Amino acid sequence: MHQKILQIMLIVSFISACSNVGVKPWEKNILARDDMQLIHAPLEAGLDDHIYFSKEASSGGRGFSGGGCGCN
Amino acid sequence: MQLNTEVRDKTKDKSRFQKISPALAIASIGILGANETLAKDELDRWDFDTAVLLYAEADDRVSAVEPVFSATRAFDNGETLNIKLAYDTLTGASPNGATPSKQKQIFTRPSGKGKSTIASGESPLDDTFKDSRVALALNWTAPINREWEYSTGLYGSKEFDYLSLGGNASIKHYFNQKNSAINFGISFSSDQVEPKGGTPIALAEMAHKSDDDFKDTHKKTREDDSNSKTIQEGMIGLTQVINRQTIMQFNAGFSYTSGYLTDPFKLLSVIGSDKSDSDYGANFQDTNSNNIYLYEARPDSKLRHSFYWQTKYSVSNGDMIDSSYRFMIDDWGINSHTLDFRYRWYFTLNKERDSYLEPHLRYYSQSAADFYQRYIDSDDYQLGDPNFSFASADERLSDMNAVTLGLKYGWRYQEGKEVNIKLEYYSQSHSGKKGIGSLSNQELYPGTKAVMLAIGYSF
Amino acid sequence: MTHTLLFSIAFILITVSAQTVSADTATGKQNLPTSTLMTTGGPFSFSDYRGKVILIDFWASWCAPCRESFPWMNLMHQRYLDRGLTIIAINLDSEAPEATAFLKRNRADFSVIYDNEGLSAETMNVEAMPTSFLIDRKGILRHTLTGFTTSKESKHEALIKQLLNETIR
Repeated sequence: MHQKILQIMLIVSFISACSNVGVKPWEKNILARDDMQLIHAPLEAGLDDHIYFSKEASSGGRGFSGGGCGCN
Repeated sequence: MQLNTEVRDKTKDKSRFQKISPALAIASIGILGANETLAKDELDRWDFDTAVLLYAEADDRVSAVEPVFSATRAFDNGETLNIKLAYDTLTGASPNGATPSKQKQIFTRPSGKGKSTIASGESPLDDTFKDSRVALALNWTAPINREWEYSTGLYGSKEFDYLSLGGNASIKHYFNQKNSAINFGISFSSDQVEPKGGTPIALAEMAHKSDDDFKDTHKKTREDDSNSKTIQEGMIGLTQVINRQTIMQFNAGFSYTSGYLTDPFKLLSVIGSDKSDSDYGANFQDTNSNNIYLYEARPDSKLRHSFYWQTKYSVSNGDMIDSSYRFMIDDWGINSHTLDFRYRWYFTLNKERDSYLEPHLRYYSQSAADFYQRYIDSDDYQLGDPNFSFASADERLSDMNAVTLGLKYGWRYQEGKEVNIKLEYYSQSHSGKKGIGSLSNQELYPGTKAVMLAIGYSF
Repeated sequence: MTHTLLFSIAFILITVSAQTVSADTATGKQNLPTSTLMTTGGPFSFSDYRGKVILIDFWASWCAPCRESFPWMNLMHQRYLDRGLTIIAINLDSEAPEATAFLKRNRADFSVIYDNEGLSAETMNVEAMPTSFLIDRKGILRHTLTGFTTSKESKHEALIKQLLNETIR
């Protein structure tokens, strides 16, 4: 139980620490590039995941795509 | 099943600035016909991505071909719909868990019909799993407002003896002028397996075809015709822009699986472990002089936690680095570390920086499951009353190290269109308890080597 | 399974709280933060355009919604130039050649100012790409339009028409 609370506190403090890090909205030209998206090759990622899921005891963890452009 | 939305945030918008002005549109309808223009406009709003993977293991083991097709449509309010279709077909054979032996070995097929013979010194392989699978996934992402976005998906896949259905939902909050985003998702899926001949009773002894009463003994080892499992997953993710060239992702998640988690096609050899006995190190046999093999048994639940960190960095010359680390730990005793590194080097073929070469290195290591053992000591087998409840010799649950080395070439010949080809080499090595007595002359951990070729085309 | 239950409850709570957010269009009379906007391409004086309705649009070549807004801005320019609408598109590309290359492929009938250091964006407190500001004939900032999707076109056009209908008195 204590472990869980500690984990949650860690996550919350991590997130609030990030609240001032970043760039101006008009400085995201590099981050808007296709190849700078977190999952820039989704089919390749899916095929890789399938292979490693079938051959190893771990799977997933990667999850969602991010938001590099920050447009709109 | 993982929470992978696999939908790009922005589709290639090649069509938007090709939109013709209203006056011209009316004029051209007469020339092209209303339906043709509408069809072309509609098609312009779609992005397509296709790929095919060819996978082949050394020593006549598994081979697979997997074509995939993905279509994404962007809508006026910023919503996207993604449809993904995958087909894969597996052939070949994979280890059935038994140890190689000086003598030839005969294994009964899990269905009860037919048998396979393994020569002396050969690694026992089983090809029962060979199959074809079709999978379909639908994903919908839509903004709620400028700071919130939700995503939801459905998934289904079918093999001859296997059905999987699932759904996921996630919600994302942008803050800090969209320099940060926190994502929160859940997923649920249900799988059903219906192997021919039903699933075996945990740790039951494999019946031998050569026995007179085979039909009866085999039937007694069978349990249900079908078995199922459910998977529930949750994940929290944080995306953070670090600076103009760097973005990071942090994910923490859990996965809980419950139901039938055993592999119905795998077994374990019982090996004589009494040093004073003449069969020390040899296959332990029953009164009919048949080798004793036990069907494997795994717990009926598994809880796993994972932590993932990814960094993408744009080098000053425009090259890109993608690196990630994943740590996983579960209640079967398996811990794993995955390190992945890619470097994309751009160069000019025809037009400025339209081609790239991307070397790839991946390192993976895992610790064995608590109930993993390469073979069962006859002392533990205790003449049919084992002193353990779970056991598996599936090499995928063993202590393992694996390395992938790859090279990808891509050519973006037009805006929004790319062809690419990738060649990778995958090598896996396992370890565990050594063979005793005569078994020490056998190769118990040969490892796995595979070559992968993937060709992709997006348009 | 308690993990999943806790997660699901948190999920629902977060989804419900997502409903309370500020709108994309901020409306209200505000004084502009400055009478002259400094850009790397030179100063821009709002008073030069007194009597006209100004649409100031901040954009960049790499921004997908910005690309989508160009055809609409051309349309607005075509329809309302004679009625007193002035569109000034301030480009924020840090690499000016990328902006010129973009303009070769995407026609802009309206004026473009280059501010590759983003000075004016900083002054105007731009929070997203693209952002447009609608200034009335008296020089008062009336609407801030954050972000762009084609579904917003008619709503934004209505705001422009409304401001054009106002007289300077």
